[in-house]
Amino acid sequence: MEKLPLGLVLDLRKVVPYKTGSWRTLMPINIAHTPPCNNACPAGNDIRGFLRVLAEKKDYEQAWHILTRTNPFPAVCGRVCPHPCEGGCNRRDFDEPLAINCSERAVGDYGLENNLQHKKLIDTRKEKVAVIGSGPAGFSCAFHLAKRGFQVKIYEANSEPGGMMRYGIPSYRQPNYILKQEIDNILRLGVELECNVKVGVNIPLDQLRNEYDAVFLGIGAQKGLSINIPGKDAENVFTGVEFLRQVNTGKWVELGNDVVVIGGGNTAMDCARVAKRLGANVSIVYRRTRMEMPAITAEIDEAMEERIMFRYHTNPVKLILDEGRVVGLLCVQMELREPDASGRARPVPISGSEAFIPAETVIMATGQAVDYDGIEIQTADKQWIYTNEYLMTNMEGVFAGGDAVVGLETVSLAIGQGMRAASAIEDYIEGNKESELSQPPVVYSRELNTYYYQPVKRYEKEARSIHMRLKGFKEVYPAFDQDDIISEADRCFSCGLCYDCGNCYMYCPDNAVQKSKTTGFYEFDYDFCKGCGLCAKECPCHYIQMTLEK
Amino acid sequence: MNQSAEELNKVEKKDLFTSGHRACGGCGQALAARLVQDASGENTIACVATGCLEVFSSPYPDPSWRIPFLHSLFENASAVASGVEAAYKALKKGPVNIIAQGGDGSTADIGFQSISGMFERGHNVLYVCYDNEAYMNTGVQRSSFTPLGARTSTTPMGNKTRKKNMPLIAANHGIPYVATATVDDFRDLQRKVKTALSIEGPKYIHILAPCPLGWGHHGELTVEICRLAKDTGLFPIYEIVDGKMTNVKKIPVKVPVQEYLKLQGRFSHLFKKGGSPEIIAEIQQIANQNIERYNL
Repeated sequence: MEKLPLGLVLDLRKVVPYKTGSWRTLMPINIAHTPPCNNACPAGNDIRGFLRVLAEKKDYEQAWHILTRTNPFPAVCGRVCPHPCEGGCNRRDFDEPLAINCSERAVGDYGLENNLQHKKLIDTRKEKVAVIGSGPAGFSCAFHLAKRGFQVKIYEANSEPGGMMRYGIPSYRQPNYILKQEIDNILRLGVELECNVKVGVNIPLDQLRNEYDAVFLGIGAQKGLSINIPGKDAENVFTGVEFLRQVNTGKWVELGNDVVVIGGGNTAMDCARVAKRLGANVSIVYRRTRMEMPAITAEIDEAMEERIMFRYHTNPVKLILDEGRVVGLLCVQMELREPDASGRARPVPISGSEAFIPAETVIMATGQAVDYDGIEIQTADKQWIYTNEYLMTNMEGVFAGGDAVVGLETVSLAIGQGMRAASAIEDYIEGNKESELSQPPVVYSRELNTYYYQPVKRYEKEARSIHMRLKGFKEVYPAFDQDDIISEADRCFSCGLCYDCGNCYMYCPDNAVQKSKTTGFYEFDYDFCKGCGLCAKECPCHYIQMTLEK
Repeated sequence: MNQSAEELNKVEKKDLFTSGHRACGGCGQALAARLVQDASGENTIACVATGCLEVFSSPYPDPSWRIPFLHSLFENASAVASGVEAAYKALKKGPVNIIAQGGDGSTADIGFQSISGMFERGHNVLYVCYDNEAYMNTGVQRSSFTPLGARTSTTPMGNKTRKKNMPLIAANHGIPYVATATVDDFRDLQRKVKTALSIEGPKYIHILAPCPLGWGHHGELTVEICRLAKDTGLFPIYEIVDGKMTNVKKIPVKVPVQEYLKLQGRFSHLFKKGGSPEIIAEIQQIANQNIERYNL
């Protein structure tokens, strides 16, 4: 007789589980959100991307390739950028923002030391593009076009490429050999460079328009402006741009003992610190206070450390001349009133407060303008070049970017503009409708679950001692330790992108989060997910979001 | 069984308690049960008392259990587990992990005599209590684990008594291992299950498992509420090994009990107009006593 089992026997292999997914009203989805650092970066760098590679794989080479996808000058930007990314960093609400700028410099330096090369995306195309000006905007545009296979030629008016990066930034902030190496890397993509050719003077713009499929104008704001006061044409009065150019081309400038710098922007700080290194006593004269100074905060701090005197609320009215040379300034004290159009307090002179400041050299770092010599183009406000939203000027096929368009801005913004112009030029040549770039929403601190992060002290770069700095033009900040930078990168929250903490996988009461066998990423099993939202709540970096059911 | 510290701290996920069960979204008990089964592994027999866990996880024909599972009555999960252990001994089989599991009702009220008997007889069984602080399965009635001030269907004005301290009662049976855990720290919970199973004799683990329906909070807050229960001092985390209290989890930043109570609908009457600040003060006093007593 057949032996029958006691009661009902269920073969678990044949069990069809009950699909509890039908209960769901909200569904979790994985979205790679935009982190605030990437959102704040004017050059459009993938900051989270390179930091995560540093933290997880300790791979400087891959980090360099991620950075140079957008920015061909990581070593330069790592030195001179005012890092708006760190202002955006979500860690600022937790402990301190990441030292992104230092990490970028370390990655850029690694790329130069190990001679890493850019990779072309498309081999060659026959279309030719002329780039006028070899500053950050011009080189960035040339770089992105050359990577896409275009034949690019850069025309540079000066004898060496680099624009303001070469002639404007002193070498204690950014040594020239760093810039030269990064430029050489770009030229190795097949970009042609012709120096000592000033478009509009040596060669007409229309000729380039005929020869090339498109032209990019990255001519910057190379003309220093001086304030219109009596005596401004004396021989020992310089504009900031002119002074920095002379020093950066290696010319000795006879300054004398007392130097007065007029202005409160980055050029003023640079001029003051350079003059200090040339052995002069330097003071900065500024109409408003430190609060209103447009210079980068760190630059002002370093200038103060180097014992440069700041005279606030002071406005020069007249330069006192003696035999054609300046011997001093007549200044008037100002008081601040209600804000003007730029949002800064409006300075008003106090009558009877005139005072004399002795000076053997006066440097006027009071603004720059575009040098339109020989280039006739439509301008906005008679100052900067007019462009439409795709960076095309009023001339067909002529694009523009950088300081010449946006006004006095940063290297990173010029790089970002060059990149945007490159995309616009490609669309223009191919006859595409300009592609609208859309990005996923930005993650802010309130969306993160910071319970899972530990407070860690921020990496602080160490400056050389002040008397060592003032001895010459050596960099203020010596090279960083690579391991320190990796531990700094490890502080990154990875806002908006999974970093494999496993919370969703472990906390799901329904086992509905599974590790994909093919990709290794976590994915949702919507047959069983009840939509409780526990995974989204406990996701530290807001990679999981609850959305309405499709 | 001697396991290295590394093995004990490893997080396990083995899918022995699978999807498709009928627990509510965000159920703390389902989460706790899965973590316990994954920690104990395939070589396990589960003896489960009546309660939510048994009801939502074992309907015919698609149970969630991928290990042998015995459902008995409300009161006798530990008696059945004792019998299974005795049978294994008699048949000279094993070793096998026997885990008796039950909710707070079957642990503290209905099954109290059988669990006490099991401890006293010294069976090699781990008893896991999923504490959701009321009879959730039958419609949120008060149990002796219901904390002071909590509203249940049988205490609509809020519970008047304090919660029974079951871990200390278990420890006073002289059993070798007692621990408390919550579902928010899954690493700690799984380490405690593995440690318990490596010890010979009766063991007791008390797991706080929030019930979104009965406690009146959103399912996504299950883990957050556990964390607050720990950080307020209302649910101390510790181990008692051979009568000595060890591994008391310190509170990093002490949180007032209001933060914990406010998230839950069962305490909402305390905050309404004409509420009971004196009850909140008393709950805070319980938390302070815990902090002092366990040196949290």
